[in-house]
Amino acid sequence: MTQFLTRRALSLIFVLFSLTFLTFLIGRLVPGDPILVLMGPRRDPDTYARLRHLYGLDRSLIEQYLRYVGGLLRGDFGLSFRYEGRPVRELIAQGVPISLLVGGLALALSVLAGVPLGMFAALRHNSLVDRGIVGLTLAFYAVPSFVLIPLLWALNLAAYRAGWPSLPQAGWGRPAHLVLPILVLAATNIGYITRLMRSSTLEVLRDDYVRTARAKGLRERTVVLRHVLRNAILPVLTMLGPATAFLVTGAFVVENLFTIPGIGRISIEAIGQRDYPVIQGTTIILGVTVVIMNTLTDLLYRVFDPRIELD
Amino acid sequence: MRSDFQTSPWGRLVRSPLGALSLVTLALVIVAALVGPLIYPIDPTTPDFGAINAAPGLFHPLGTDRLGRDTLARLLAGLRISLLVAVVVEAINLVVGASLGLLAGFFGGWADALISRLADMLFAFPGLLLAILVAAVFGAWVTENYGATARLLLVVISLALVGWPLMARYVRGQVLGLRQRDFVLAARALGQRDLGILRLHILPNITGLVITAATLDVVNVIVGEATLSLLGLGIQPPSTSIGKMIVEGAPLLAQNGMLVAAPAITLTILVLLFSFLGDALRDAFDPTRGIAGG
Repeated sequence: MTQFLTRRALSLIFVLFSLTFLTFLIGRLVPGDPILVLMGPRRDPDTYARLRHLYGLDRSLIEQYLRYVGGLLRGDFGLSFRYEGRPVRELIAQGVPISLLVGGLALALSVLAGVPLGMFAALRHNSLVDRGIVGLTLAFYAVPSFVLIPLLWALNLAAYRAGWPSLPQAGWGRPAHLVLPILVLAATNIGYITRLMRSSTLEVLRDDYVRTARAKGLRERTVVLRHVLRNAILPVLTMLGPATAFLVTGAFVVENLFTIPGIGRISIEAIGQRDYPVIQGTTIILGVTVVIMNTLTDLLYRVFDPRIELD
Repeated sequence: MRSDFQTSPWGRLVRSPLGALSLVTLALVIVAALVGPLIYPIDPTTPDFGAINAAPGLFHPLGTDRLGRDTLARLLAGLRISLLVAVVVEAINLVVGASLGLLAGFFGGWADALISRLADMLFAFPGLLLAILVAAVFGAWVTENYGATARLLLVVISLALVGWPLMARYVRGQVLGLRQRDFVLAARALGQRDLGILRLHILPNITGLVITAATLDVVNVIVGEATLSLLGLGIQPPSTSIGKMIVEGAPLLAQNGMLVAAPAITLTILVLLFSFLGDALRDAFDPTRGIAGG
């Protein structure tokens, strides 16, 4: 176990280094002098020198990187290029809980819908229900989110015109605003988790202990919940990391189309304003979120499945 | 007697129903994108002021947008961009990713260590995050200094940056497996040199796998380009791509649904076609499979 944890920690450090170093480097490779852009029409050498020092650009590249990482460890993402001297942290702080809420609910929905759907399909293997679920989730999986969004909008619009209850098309502030974005974000993952859960349930159903449990005369309910579910759900755990990675790209699309003031939207606004430190900050936050989720699932998987060797 | 072609993977591909169907449809889509402008010579950027936001009709089969630009012409132009980006990115993935993967898997040692660590560094960025970062940071500068074509090249490079490590890792794994197989060990025992083994035993065995992987990855590239366009990081107006048409049309859904429906349906069909073709290729190249379809 110690060896496993050491290896996991080393690879964690490597990933975090890669993420921060490449993000830092790409930000530094931008052609043009950010200080001149920041100063606009003002052109006095004193202000220039003062700002250059304030932003740390008068130091060597390695020194700048180390200071950047040191700042990150204290939750300091540097200063905005757009708003003179304003910390990036202030600009992105409001977006973090919003993106976490939307992404977290989408992830919860994908598991809560995908696990029962997949199990249900497997328990009725080759039936009409099974085929229906497989077909539906394949569609969920194949249709890109920005095809799904206009489709949901069109349906919602039709409902509105027909005088039925409908949801707000976009915006932020009321719980109703959450429904469409969460559905869109969860769709692909529901497709993936359902398929995974279905195949792993089918496998577990063939295992000896399930036959034994049935032979003992246990009720079907008990067999399914105690024996099948608990074993079949393990592969789904490994999916949580990749599912989060998928949500990160999804957040950019969904937050922009639904005008949700989360991290994705803040990034895109910063891109428009060429506020590179903000883009770097959001990239690192999103990257680290996925790293944390990947590490957690890895650890959880080993806790839940003692058969895994702790090399 | 069966001809060589019939028993070859390509023969198997065209005789599998899904493979033949997706191949033919895809060929039609590509031909439509390429020769479309000759048959349908309406300029995708010229407005028709007599038909603003027009419904589908005789002169504009799919209607027009709020600037009076013809939707069908824009769809063909957008399709051309999406396919162009997909082809170039996959070419880079094959040339860079597959070669480096082959190098790493076959020779091992420091070449493997270097290539694998480099790929691992890029894997630190989930999904399209790296492509978004690169396209965002260099986008405005590239457009200002080098123009629209260079901007499209930046999109290609951003997407290839995400794609090549995946291809390299895949090929490396396959080659590592092949290297341990009996026929490779036998060739080595018979005194065959590295280059000979590579040419006679490794390459023929991974070509099909690589082509299949690249075909399936086209889906990621097309969706990736559409995502970058959607975020304003892809192709710039007045040019368009399928993804950009969806974003531009989405707010006008209530007034003119065709503006979204046309590109959204096209994108879905394109994604499905490449997935089907990839699946069919996988079956066709699988040597353990019998000759399907009789």
